Amino acid sequence: MSDNDSQQSEPATDGSGPGIVAPDDEVPSWRERKERTTGLSRLTYEYFERARREDQDLRQESSYVERDVLGFPAWPHETIRNLAISSFFIGMLLFLAATMPPTLEDAANPAVTPEIILPDWYLYWSFGLLKLGPINPELSILGGDKIMSDELYGVLANAVVFGAIAIVPFLNKGSARRPVEQPFWAAIGVGGVMFAFTTSVVAVQNLAPIDPNITFDLAFLLPLVAATITYAVLKTMREGYMYDLNRRYYRLRPPR
Amino acid sequence: MADEFVKGFAILTAGLLVWMMFASWFNTPSFFDVQLLGPNPEDPSEYASIGLLVKDAMLVFSLLGALTFWILIPAGRHAREYYAAN
Repeated sequence: MSDNDSQQSEPATDGSGPGIVAPDDEVPSWRERKERTTGLSRLTYEYFERARREDQDLRQESSYVERDVLGFPAWPHETIRNLAISSFFIGMLLFLAATMPPTLEDAANPAVTPEIILPDWYLYWSFGLLKLGPINPELSILGGDKIMSDELYGVLANAVVFGAIAIVPFLNKGSARRPVEQPFWAAIGVGGVMFAFTTSVVAVQNLAPIDPNITFDLAFLLPLVAATITYAVLKTMREGYMYDLNRRYYRLRPPR
Repeated sequence: MADEFVKGFAILTAGLLVWMMFASWFNTPSFFDVQLLGPNPEDPSEYASIGLLVKDAMLVFSLLGALTFWILIPAGRHAREYYAAN
């Protein structure tokens, strides 16, 4: 007795045997049912297949030679590339140093305070935070006095900014690779960068050709505007990408 | 396409470096004043007038070179493809 015989003796459960319900055109076949239940994955598959095919066509059209490697080796590819780039910049430095005339003026006079006192440009934002005196509140409970001096207020503003930056990693792990994955945190970041820029302008408000009051107001308004625009743009991009449908694709990570 | 980019980039950087050199020689009165864009020297010598001419030629050359290789040639190719397709 073979296995076939024993299987045939059992009642068929796959719909192939003598059916209890007579099949007609209205009853979907098992193939149709399966296609129906896997519609989303089928759609995703076709989407990726089409994207892969277009990518393949683009590669075949281009003149680049495709190699079956994940990256380029450090020697010689990366090394020669880096040598070329560094030679470019070193050559520019040597050329300018050799041809441009030295413009050394008189030595600085240590007995005289320079007219403009400013830190290096990358510390302008911190210098601008020291100029937040206008928003140091005058408390009526103290008879219109300020609870702390403007100088201490500016230093504390620096502490607040550093504290906010230190807290961010605990609020958000930073697992997003693309801003569209987390529009809110991308907007926070853009707003922070914008705030650094505007406070930098506040730091040099004596040199900027803008009314200092306007500069001061814009220092707090522009970051909000920039964050709002960023959030709106990223949310719109999400819809354009059909982010919910392709969520897995946008969260793809390279293997470790 | 990448070749056209690097051609335009090479022309732009080399031309502007030469322009910068001559501008630093003849158009930079002081480090604490207008740099590279100062007025031309009055009554330039023979060599200085040649240098000023080369300076202007280099500026035009770099700008036109970048314009040609980054915009005109790719645009021409696109236009040719477009009219070939239609």
